[in-house]
Amino acid sequence: MRLDRRRVYVLPTRFGFFYMALALTMCIGALNYNNNPALLLGLSLIGAGLASLLYAHLQLSGLQVDSIGAEPVPAGQPLQLRIACSVRDARPRAGLRTGLGVESSTLSVPATGGGIVTVPLPTERRGWQDAGRIEISSIRPLGLARAWSWIRPDQPLLVHPTPEAEAPSLPDAALSGTRSRPHFSGEDLHLLRDYQPGDPIRTIAWKPSARHGQLMSRTWEHPHGDEVELDWHALALPHEARISRLARWVEMAEREGRRYALKLPMQPRIGPGSGHDHLHACLRALALMPEAHGH
Amino acid sequence: MAFDPATRRMLLATLAISLAPLLLQLPGTVALAVIATALLMSLAGWRRPLPGAIKLAIAALAVAAVMAAFDFRMGRDTGCALLAAMLAVKPAETRSLRDARSLVGFSLFAPFSTFLLDQGPVSMLLALLSLVAALATLQRLADVESGIEAGALREHLSRVGKLLALGLPLTMAAFWLFPRIGSPLWGVPDRAAARAGLSDSISPGDWLELMADDRTALRVRFFGPPPTRESLYWRGPVLWDFDGRTWSGAAPANATMPIAETAGAGWDYELEAEPSEQRYLTALDFPDSVPDGAIRTPDGNLLARQSLQSVTRWRLRSIPAARFQASLPAFERRRALALPPATNPRARQLAMQWRTQTGGNPVAIVGRAMSMVNAELAYSLAAPPLGRDAVDDFLFVTQTGYCEHFSSSFVFLMRAAGVPARVVTGYAGGYLNPVGDYWIVRNSDAHAWAEVWLAGRGWVRVDPTAAVAPERIFDTLADRQPGRIGSFEGLAGLWNAADWMRRGWNDFVLGFDAQRQSRLLRWLGVQRLDGGSLVALLVLATVLALGWMLWWLSRGERERDPLLRAWHGLSARYRRHGLARAPSEAAGDWAARVGLARPAEKAQLESLATRFGEARYATSDERDALIRDIRRFRPGRDAS
Repeated sequence: MRLDRRRVYVLPTRFGFFYMALALTMCIGALNYNNNPALLLGLSLIGAGLASLLYAHLQLSGLQVDSIGAEPVPAGQPLQLRIACSVRDARPRAGLRTGLGVESSTLSVPATGGGIVTVPLPTERRGWQDAGRIEISSIRPLGLARAWSWIRPDQPLLVHPTPEAEAPSLPDAALSGTRSRPHFSGEDLHLLRDYQPGDPIRTIAWKPSARHGQLMSRTWEHPHGDEVELDWHALALPHEARISRLARWVEMAEREGRRYALKLPMQPRIGPGSGHDHLHACLRALALMPEAHGH
Repeated sequence: MAFDPATRRMLLATLAISLAPLLLQLPGTVALAVIATALLMSLAGWRRPLPGAIKLAIAALAVAAVMAAFDFRMGRDTGCALLAAMLAVKPAETRSLRDARSLVGFSLFAPFSTFLLDQGPVSMLLALLSLVAALATLQRLADVESGIEAGALREHLSRVGKLLALGLPLTMAAFWLFPRIGSPLWGVPDRAAARAGLSDSISPGDWLELMADDRTALRVRFFGPPPTRESLYWRGPVLWDFDGRTWSGAAPANATMPIAETAGAGWDYELEAEPSEQRYLTALDFPDSVPDGAIRTPDGNLLARQSLQSVTRWRLRSIPAARFQASLPAFERRRALALPPATNPRARQLAMQWRTQTGGNPVAIVGRAMSMVNAELAYSLAAPPLGRDAVDDFLFVTQTGYCEHFSSSFVFLMRAAGVPARVVTGYAGGYLNPVGDYWIVRNSDAHAWAEVWLAGRGWVRVDPTAAVAPERIFDTLADRQPGRIGSFEGLAGLWNAADWMRRGWNDFVLGFDAQRQSRLLRWLGVQRLDGGSLVALLVLATVLALGWMLWWLSRGERERDPLLRAWHGLSARYRRHGLARAPSEAAGDWAARVGLARPAEKAQLESLATRFGEARYATSDERDALIRDIRRFRPGRDAS
């Protein structure tokens, strides 16, 4: 999406109105006294003020919004909305306030380059979250006028359910007893790959990360331990509490490197499987569970 | 939101720059006090804000001090000094960005109010500096608020320059075309502190300040041959009444209007008067015409209807007077002979002696007096102080003085001898500026001379000072050359050029008023612009100026790379044929697509696309040639 002149709005700030009143007072006084130097001063102020309105407009117009997205987070934590922008002309943009409500961050984009800004977006409940309009604004160059434009993410943002804080251990732990805890020491047991956002922090291999200069995660080609079945119907809890418990268990299973399957009502069974994509598929299904009836 | 110390420094610098032109126009003591207050408040408020009560007390003190300095008289200058004092107190309470912005806004009033006191080019230059400083500071504040590293000063200044340049067409259009009002809707308050200048009274020693002031009072351009130096008397207030020390009082307004006959060809000239805060319009003696906006008094001098608060220009005609008021009514004659009783016995005795010796012949009495002045008196600005009998002291004891002493004593002697006489003040002489060929009369040319009334001839000018020091009066002394420092004359040319430029400034900038505006389009054959067409012109010019701004805006949005711009232009030319390039379409693909639809252009277009690809993604040194070729290429009229 490119911000062009039809999408950019400019209005004077409160100080801008004060400045205007000041310049007009000067002009009226100067005209009355036929005081030409004072009139020149007042008119120069007006001219520079109007030019600053145009410059404020130029701060935004021509800005290309490349993408708006966020990694899903559990409800209650803020979504970190990443907005990537670029400009193709030779005017660097700096100090663009990018915000949602009271939260805002500063975006700067160099000339013929790109910039990324992260804006926190508070979340309350699982499911799709509408980011609403995101405002990009600038009061530069003089603070007399504010130019702003609205952008919207193309897709809604996903908010995962909040995992239960004090959840019991996985449902089959007591039964099987054969499950062995994964080894996190030794390097021959697992493969290493680049860290991807969303990988549990425990899977980060710190030593290799330090060696490679970038974050690495452990993955297990053959997940050890046996399968675990997480069944909606096996739990006797209120609707949201069940979702919460299942979300926690999914995370626990993933963290322990086990294969797990999720069974939700009116949906095909997910899995069994493991890994980043599987985890996200399960959490997404939980996030998108319909609301309980009667609520 | 607070700001960093560097921003605070810049803010204070802006305040200082804005105050500078104003302080130059205020009395020295007030200016120094304002500077001291500003420094003190800046230091005191640097780390933490002063308590409210203290701030209030300091502000009240500053107001009281300024009022006291102007003797509690409200005037234009008092108001300006109060503004300066308030601005000086302001740094102590500047904490937030909002405070900072309002400080910048209010400090812009300092150069504005400077123009109420002085409209010279130096003030204008300083005001321009403060405008730039204020805008640069506003930029920095906006950067701080935007949460980015504020740029270097040079960056700020270059951006301010761009803003001013972008607004310049609008500024100039509004300046020339915004309808001016012929006469003010409300008046300008006078100054509280009087300037040294001509006044309605003189007493010995009054003029020392004025005569040391080398600033220009009048600039005069003659249309035709100028008068001789001996005729360069600029007539100001005429003084009739003497109380022993002070001459004062003009003829009553209901006195008979003077009639003067001309003794030769007159002089037409344009007189440009610097603001004097007085109404006296010192025309060349004797003014024959009364311009609009002025009146002529029974004393034969001109008075403007309003005090001269800015540079004014007058078109005048003067004549060498003969038989000026040939008959003197009895009450005026009595007034022209009145003397304070029981003063200056020696002068009276001498006058009586002349009277009896000459048999009361006024011409002979004047001759006696002039020869005495010539023989016994000396000219010097360093005149010793005079006692109670001022005329006696001057004539017989100190014998040294300048025009005030000479004219005063001479008129006293005349009256004592029974010859009606009065003191005339004004300017004498002038300096012909070789640059621009016009005459300059300076404040230091202030002069007082005498007029005696002779039966059949009317009032006749007699200048006792000129008898003693003609080179002094008629400005022929080398050391009266302006711009001279001691015996060094190298700067004289510079001074001449500077005054000539100042005259141009007065003419082109200050002199632009409703009348000149109505003649703005005379070069196009439009004799008079009325209000309606002026507004129409203004609207047109404003639209053009805004259009220029918008053109810059679209220029800012356009593609910077000339190659890409040319390429986009090529695509736009195919839009008519429904073959514009899709944003995601590669150059080669598009050329192939167009080639299918329009085979005639296939080869050329594909070659251009290939060259474009090479120039864009590989190094190619035929860029300019390619841009030219793309720009020249046009789709054929109709290929179907």
